[in-house]
Amino acid sequence: MRNSQTSAMAAARRELAYEVISGGSGLLLALFMWGHVVLVGSILTGERGFDWMATMLEDYYIAQPTVFVIFTLFLVHAVFAARKIPSQLRERKQILQLAKGLSQSGREKVVTRTEYSPFRPHVESLLWIWQVRTGMIMLVLGSFHLVLLGIDIFTPLYGDIAGIEASTSTARVSAGLWLPYAVLLLCVEFHASVGLYRLAIKWGADLWLSRKTMHRLEQVIFWVVLVLGGVTLIVLAGWMDPPLAFLLDGTST
Amino acid sequence: MTQEHGTPSRRLKFEIFRYNPEDENSEPHSDVFEIDETPFMSLYIALNKIRELHDPGLQFDFACRSAICGSCGMVVNGRPALACRTLTSDLPEDIQLYPLPAFKLIGDLSVDTGTWFRGMGERTEAWIHERQAFDPEAEEERMSDDIAAAIYEGDRCIECGCCVASCGVANLDDEFLAGAGMNRVARFMMDPRDTRSEAEWFDVVAGDRGVFGCLGMMACADVCPKELPLLEVYAYLRRKTLGARFAARHEKKGSA
Repeated sequence: MRNSQTSAMAAARRELAYEVISGGSGLLLALFMWGHVVLVGSILTGERGFDWMATMLEDYYIAQPTVFVIFTLFLVHAVFAARKIPSQLRERKQILQLAKGLSQSGREKVVTRTEYSPFRPHVESLLWIWQVRTGMIMLVLGSFHLVLLGIDIFTPLYGDIAGIEASTSTARVSAGLWLPYAVLLLCVEFHASVGLYRLAIKWGADLWLSRKTMHRLEQVIFWVVLVLGGVTLIVLAGWMDPPLAFLLDGTST
Repeated sequence: MTQEHGTPSRRLKFEIFRYNPEDENSEPHSDVFEIDETPFMSLYIALNKIRELHDPGLQFDFACRSAICGSCGMVVNGRPALACRTLTSDLPEDIQLYPLPAFKLIGDLSVDTGTWFRGMGERTEAWIHERQAFDPEAEEERMSDDIAAAIYEGDRCIECGCCVASCGVANLDDEFLAGAGMNRVARFMMDPRDTRSEAEWFDVVAGDRGVFGCLGMMACADVCPKELPLLEVYAYLRRKTLGARFAARHEKKGSA
């Protein structure tokens, strides 16, 4: 009896630790992604701005440890957040059916429906399933991106190439990498904004902002960052001139 | 015929799940029934009408018809809800009714929520734990209005099981405490008459069948017919658990 009690206690402690690790790593990654979008957004001022930013981050050895830390966090988050994904296909189908039913109900057009309807809108269950899906896509595309840029960042240490450069990045993106990067961008921003919303509700639903406000905030953040990232990607692909080039005396090339 | 607020009455089409687990020849299927909508018709009224006009063998549970007994929970167009509290005027003409998942099916729309709630009550020991012997002479201990109101809020749960049925985790794990269970735990944790310490609560609350088994899908709060603050309860318990863990560590370090 005593033994089973202490083992239940130890198991509960582990669950708490897992939850803090998955939530904490998710929070750090989401915050990093905002910074990431702003840094890559330096291409909006032209190649000079981008190269200046990249060189600075590499010369002061900010980029190298960051790649290492982010890759580690990325894997840790994948392991600990994925612990809750049902393992059986049958179970996944069950959750999917439940989430679909919940999100569709109350959406039908009914003329006589009043404000007293008990059918309050509910999308968060389906959003969770999309978080799992986007997470899986990110695990593949994100790993690819991290390895590719990791090589860019670390090879200059051996004197091979110049590190992250606008010319290399634009060449790659316009050659076709825009497609996986567009998918990755969409997944990251969706996953991060919904994740932050869920994290805020999980730990502080009664503390700070109302759920409605938090949900609205989540949507605003999602669109702002998605548009910023989207424009960055379009400029990198060479389909648009850097719109903020005038900031650097109009010399964008 | 027109309804009181001027819209023409509708012909409602009910698609109702039918299955009797007691009957070997029974196969799970759906039956379709049509009835005319009447003003202020609830699903409670509609189902009774169907039983009266079409099929006296249709099984469903009701007692109070005023959202307090918690027996008429069912899945209405994909969402767990109380049949007595759901007006047909809030629904489209096609209405699908299924029994609540996550509970044992009795037959058709009737499920056994009692076994689940009894198990939950036993696992969380959902009663006041008092260590001192009862002294009939002593004055009753006072409780602040705020705490009394918070406890009362938690006690408004009618155990209809809608939160359990809407919960992804509870649908896969019979012993997950779900919204109703966590609400019950929080109610006793807040109660100053209950002498259980936070450390004693820890394994019940923090296990993967407690607050950290939750995926944060938030369906429980959205379907709760009593609109209980279940998300707030979860957040409160998560922070309490984290606090208790830090306190325990601190104590260990202090004594070493």
